[in-house]
Amino acid sequence: MSRFLKFVLAANLIAVAALSFTYPQLMVGPGKLIPGHKQLNADCFACHTPLSGASSERCINCHKPRDIGRLTTKGLFIAKPLTSTPFHQQLISQNCMGCHSDHAGVKSYKQHGHFNHAQLRLDTREKCQDCHKSPNDSLHQQITGNCSKCHSQEKWLPATFDHNKYFILDRDHSTRCATCHVRNDYKHYTCYGCHEHSQSNIRGKHIEEGIRNFDNCIKCHRSANEDDIQGNVRGREDGGDD
Amino acid sequence: MTTSLWRQHVLPFSIILGLLATITLLSDYFLHLLNLVWVGRYLGIPGTILIIGSLVYSLRKRKYISSGNPKSLLTLHEFMAWLGSLFVLIHAGIHFNAILPWLATVAMSVNVVSGMVGKFLLDPSRRHLQEQRQDYLQRGLQQPEVEQAVFWDAVALDAMTKWRKIHIPIFIVFAVLALGHIISIFLFWGWV
Repeated sequence: MSRFLKFVLAANLIAVAALSFTYPQLMVGPGKLIPGHKQLNADCFACHTPLSGASSERCINCHKPRDIGRLTTKGLFIAKPLTSTPFHQQLISQNCMGCHSDHAGVKSYKQHGHFNHAQLRLDTREKCQDCHKSPNDSLHQQITGNCSKCHSQEKWLPATFDHNKYFILDRDHSTRCATCHVRNDYKHYTCYGCHEHSQSNIRGKHIEEGIRNFDNCIKCHRSANEDDIQGNVRGREDGGDD
Repeated sequence: MTTSLWRQHVLPFSIILGLLATITLLSDYFLHLLNLVWVGRYLGIPGTILIIGSLVYSLRKRKYISSGNPKSLLTLHEFMAWLGSLFVLIHAGIHFNAILPWLATVAMSVNVVSGMVGKFLLDPSRRHLQEQRQDYLQRGLQQPEVEQAVFWDAVALDAMTKWRKIHIPIFIVFAVLALGHIISIFLFWGWV
């Protein structure tokens, strides 16, 4: 390698090194900062601790957890908060980087719109409706609360509840939830919510067959198929005549 | 350039270089599709280790170490440098953020091309040009006429030689820039 080439190489590398110190946001910063932190663009160590990365303690210096979602860092009331309910106060730990990334280049490594609900306190975790609105479809408009019965906190879809495990909703039973689950009580059900099954006609049919214990319908009837009656019909007076 | 030279040297050169670009783009696409972008983030580490490992041949060539079969080490150098470069290219992704790592990526890419020019094109082309010169001389052409006949091939060979010559200087540039990038990562990134 000629001396001239060595000189050019060295000069260029020194120039790059100098630029890295002068304009770190351009030379080594992984993309633009979020608009709210624009003024910190050239001051990397405002958020980063040397050799250990951005630290939550430095975030909390300006963003007091008790105020997040309520007041700005300057103490002004937030008229239009990003979330309907402030929830940072309910977090079990203050790990800001667990959810937030201020550089545009780092954002691509985060799962957008994904919030780890395990970071919430247990009592808050169960109150989905405090932060989430129920979907506007006819099914969800009938339901209040109890989201975890059908949905996990990891993903909204797929819903984890399989109604067919309890009772198959065939053509005749594809009805409003409230027909069987009155007052949004999904722990209990009634089969007397429709015209087809009145208490008197069900009672009559079962007594005729010698069955007296017919309060819990799905114990024997897991579908509307009359040939698919389960159990040994213990309610019968004689104890088991087919 | 004869058909056999094209098939034996230029085509493999283009295929291997094209393969590097294609695998990079496909990997980037599938990592995004499968929500596994973080994998690309960490591929920079094995990529760097592979490239450092490939330098054993360079040390052997310059007699800093005396053990190891140079031919095997050269094959290993080519394979490790190619694979390491692939990992680093996937690591870089198609994201344009900081300038320093991008300069390092460009320097690395130039280095890969210059290395591959040496492997696939330079020696065969040199032989080819020599054979052409001898062929023309045997046909009775005078030296100036021979040089005129092989002018463009000679120009191409000269360009390739220059590509080869920059292999070491551009590697130094790559090494310094990559080191700057690595230092900045250690300085600003939280590993835990």
